[in-house]
Amino acid sequence: MLAAAPLLAAAAYDATRVLEAAAVRGPKVTEQAQALVQLIERSGTQDELQRLRDINDFFNRRIAFQEDAVTWGVPDYWASPLESLEKRAGDCEDYAIAKYFSLTATGVPTAKLRLVYVRARLGGQSLAHMVLAYYAQPSAEPLILDNLRPEVLPASQRADLTPVFSFNTEGLWQGTGQVTAGNPLARLSMWREVVAKVKAEGFL
Amino acid sequence: MSLMRQIAWLVLGVVLAALVGAVGLSTLSTQQLMRTQLELKNADNAQALALALSQQGGDGELIKLLVSAQFDTGAYEFVRWRGVNGETLFERSEPPRAGLAPAWFRALLPITAAPGVAQLSSGWNAIGSVELMSQSSYAHDALWLSSRQLLAWLFIVGIAAAVVAWGGLRRIRRPLDAAVAQAEGVLVGSYGQVAEPRVPELQRLTRAMNAMVQRVKEMFEAQAGQLLVLREQVHHDPLTGVSTRRHFLAELDAALQRDDGPAIAGLVLVRLRDLPGLNARLGRAGVDDVLLTLVTALQAYPESVAGCRVGRLNGGDFALWLPAEGVAAETAHALADALRASLPAFGPGVQVALGAIELPRERPSGVWLGEADAALARAEHLGEARGGFVVEIVAEPGLGREQGEGLWRAQLQEAVGQQRGRLAEFPVCDRAGRVLHLECPLQLDLGTGFVPAASWLPLAVRARLTAQVDLFAVDLALKAISGDGQARCINVAPASLADAVFLPQLRELLAQWPQAARALLLDLTEAAATEHFDRLLELGQQLRPLGVKLGLEHAGAGLAQVERLYQAGLDYVKLDASVLLGVAGEAGRAAFVRGMVIMLRSLALKVYGEGVVDEMDAQALWDCELDGLTGPWVTSSLRG
Repeated sequence: MLAAAPLLAAAAYDATRVLEAAAVRGPKVTEQAQALVQLIERSGTQDELQRLRDINDFFNRRIAFQEDAVTWGVPDYWASPLESLEKRAGDCEDYAIAKYFSLTATGVPTAKLRLVYVRARLGGQSLAHMVLAYYAQPSAEPLILDNLRPEVLPASQRADLTPVFSFNTEGLWQGTGQVTAGNPLARLSMWREVVAKVKAEGFL
Repeated sequence: MSLMRQIAWLVLGVVLAALVGAVGLSTLSTQQLMRTQLELKNADNAQALALALSQQGGDGELIKLLVSAQFDTGAYEFVRWRGVNGETLFERSEPPRAGLAPAWFRALLPITAAPGVAQLSSGWNAIGSVELMSQSSYAHDALWLSSRQLLAWLFIVGIAAAVVAWGGLRRIRRPLDAAVAQAEGVLVGSYGQVAEPRVPELQRLTRAMNAMVQRVKEMFEAQAGQLLVLREQVHHDPLTGVSTRRHFLAELDAALQRDDGPAIAGLVLVRLRDLPGLNARLGRAGVDDVLLTLVTALQAYPESVAGCRVGRLNGGDFALWLPAEGVAAETAHALADALRASLPAFGPGVQVALGAIELPRERPSGVWLGEADAALARAEHLGEARGGFVVEIVAEPGLGREQGEGLWRAQLQEAVGQQRGRLAEFPVCDRAGRVLHLECPLQLDLGTGFVPAASWLPLAVRARLTAQVDLFAVDLALKAISGDGQARCINVAPASLADAVFLPQLRELLAQWPQAARALLLDLTEAAATEHFDRLLELGQQLRPLGVKLGLEHAGAGLAQVERLYQAGLDYVKLDASVLLGVAGEAGRAAFVRGMVIMLRSLALKVYGEGVVDEMDAQALWDCELDGLTGPWVTSSLRG
């Protein structure tokens, strides 16, 4: 993981590219993207907790929850932040993805962020869900960014969630191997695909 | 580098480049593919393992057990569990497995895949990450095997391509070689035509060459035609068309000098008597008719027998040269009979006297003419008494060899077998007196000392031994050349040329003396060119690469009649003494010689003169720009 650090540093957030990618999608997306870029710029000067709140609120407000089958016409679709902002809709992993890459764009280290598969109990029902977890220290209790409960809360206060498995972009580009958007052989998983898209949009 | 070789190298280069390029590109792309797949496998296996490890509630022992199980049942270089701060908590590893691929191959095409990393958690707690790396030697083995297979396949394809290319080159090469051979032929004076190839570029080239050859042929034929006219004017009596006195005497001298005639020959003199009286009685036109009738009877001989010569010596005197033994008397009687039948038509008083002699050919021409005159005088004397037709025969009996053919044959074979022979040497010099080459007639010892070719050549021809004798002469010449380096010239009989074994044996002999062969010249008579033209061509084609030069000797008036001389590919021509004798005294003869020289030069031939006797002639011939002369005058002036 230490070895991966300089490589991750090399791939960096670039506001200009984000806006260019948004311009392609139309004026409405550009408007949303400009708001996001301004937020990221502003958040960069604040502490990480404040950034969490800002980014969490930004996406919880601007994106409405909607099943992928309705939004994209397919059972499951992992959308990039700009795609979600274009549709103004998404499901749980779209929130988590948008928040994850926006936070890394503000300068939060990826080692502190994890996307977590959880089992959520909602009104007596159990459903598969995904949230973003923030670890201030490696072994500390994480803060949870969720779209079901809009406020940022520590994990202990989220008894409704049972974590199952977590992942992030750590180690994804380790070594000399190039896992890029241009290599079709490597675009196999949902996660790698969305990472490639995000990279193309300039978040990474 | 020749054109063909350049094309061959080019084809080879292209095939090799394609082969190396294909193998290289394929191997590189396969390497890339292997690395990507290996990286994905690492990543996926790490994720799968992490998924399982994250369900163990953070139990360290269970995690280690699972890591060990994964490691033991798969092909990994290492599987590692790291803590949240990056420290290694547990690791299973083994050194990279040695595969089938050799070390240099691994070094040349490394497959370095990134290890797969996945995050571990226990509930909300992060408990580090798992990192694993698969063995890459399997990928290397597959790459090695596929590269070798590809190389083998492309090698086969390359060989097939080379075979096809070679066939294609041969197809191009055949017409190209033909065109080159034609061009080389033109360079050495052999103006042959070749079939037009189907390749358009070569077709145009060949067409141009053929057209040029055709033009040379036409030019040559025109020149030859002009020469024939000139010869008629210079050498022939305008009324009767037979040789003039001067030309006949030159022809007689040449016939006596040459070494391939019979030992004994005949001469018949015919005289129309009392020419002034006939003129008065019959008128000039009537006498001309009588003379033409006489000549018609005489011309029957040269027309049917090669080497016979007819000449008008004076107003009513005619001579007939018979290059054969024992026919003079017979011929004289036959002539007399013929004239007896035809002349009475002109009325009475037309009288003819005939004198015939037979002498050894080695006697000088003065003796011949003296004896013949004496015979004619006796005939006339007899005629005074009898009137009409008279014939007087003088023959020296007892000169012909008594022995039978079997004995000559044995003698000749013995002489050749025991190497009892030597080469006489007569120099051929250029204007500055430098010896160009030595003419070397063979002298054989048939048991009674060395005798010149004139004595034994007729026997050899009759016994069909000329090929053996000529080979013996060539052998002697080659030995002599390798001794002193002096170029030498050997006569080859036309009969040898017709002998099927001669050419292969000659080639074999020349191959033993490759150095000396370059200084060897072979003389052939005009007869060889007229009667055995195809053999002559073959001889030229086979001997030219060995450096042997070919030429015609005793070339005279008949040369203009040698068809396709422009195609024969000769190196030189030796003009016969009969054409050259007396050139100093008569401008017409000199003009004829000059015409011959110009014609032969245009065919890139060297021109030499034979049998030059006196200095005046020699000077006149140098003025005609001959390349060299031989004969008694040359030999004596060289000694002097």
